[in-house]
Amino acid sequence: MGRMKKARLYGLSTCPTCKRVKNLLDELNIKYELIEVDLLDSGEQWLTSKEVRRYNPAVTYPTLVIEEVITEPDEEAIKEALGIK
Amino acid sequence: MTTDRLYEILLKYAESQGIQLNMDKEYVIEILEGLLKNESRYGYRSCPCRLAAGVKEKDKDIICPCVYRDPDIKEYGSCYCRLYVSKEWNEEKIKHVKVPERRPTDKQGG
Repeated sequence: MGRMKKARLYGLSTCPTCKRVKNLLDELNIKYELIEVDLLDSGEQWLTSKEVRRYNPAVTYPTLVIEEVITEPDEEAIKEALGIK
Repeated sequence: MTTDRLYEILLKYAESQGIQLNMDKEYVIEILEGLLKNESRYGYRSCPCRLAAGVKEKDKDIICPCVYRDPDIKEYGSCYCRLYVSKEWNEEKIKHVKVPERRPTDKQGG
């Protein structure tokens, strides 16, 4: 089946709320990519901020993105992913 | 500066401002760790809940206490980070809501 969900957490290493979300994801055994934006170098920070802005115009942390990837996007898979009949 | 010492100082400072530190001391200590980390890497205590640019001029509005603290406490009972809160907030006389980011979006993004 060509559908899978991916989780990516944009956070700050200094932010307690980010830490709580991380702990929650860990407790729930959810695999996720963690990006601690403050630890990136300045060029990467700029680029990553632009990326976060696409999902969350306020650019606040934590921002958790859960995306669905469809590798064989036929009609059935698309409708199923969007919950349309 | 240790977090414990900073805690003692900020407790008195908050009192002098007619506000309080969040009752959840464990949470406050985590915030203070973030403040001290920012102080050591940027040279000033910028908000641990926001991405700093690392340039003082750009970050001056988010150096703790940030310029958004007072309006946020007035409107929601706590600052964005929930470090500084009103007495009523600590006593749960007002609902604890997520404080929306008051900082203009064009300043966000490091």
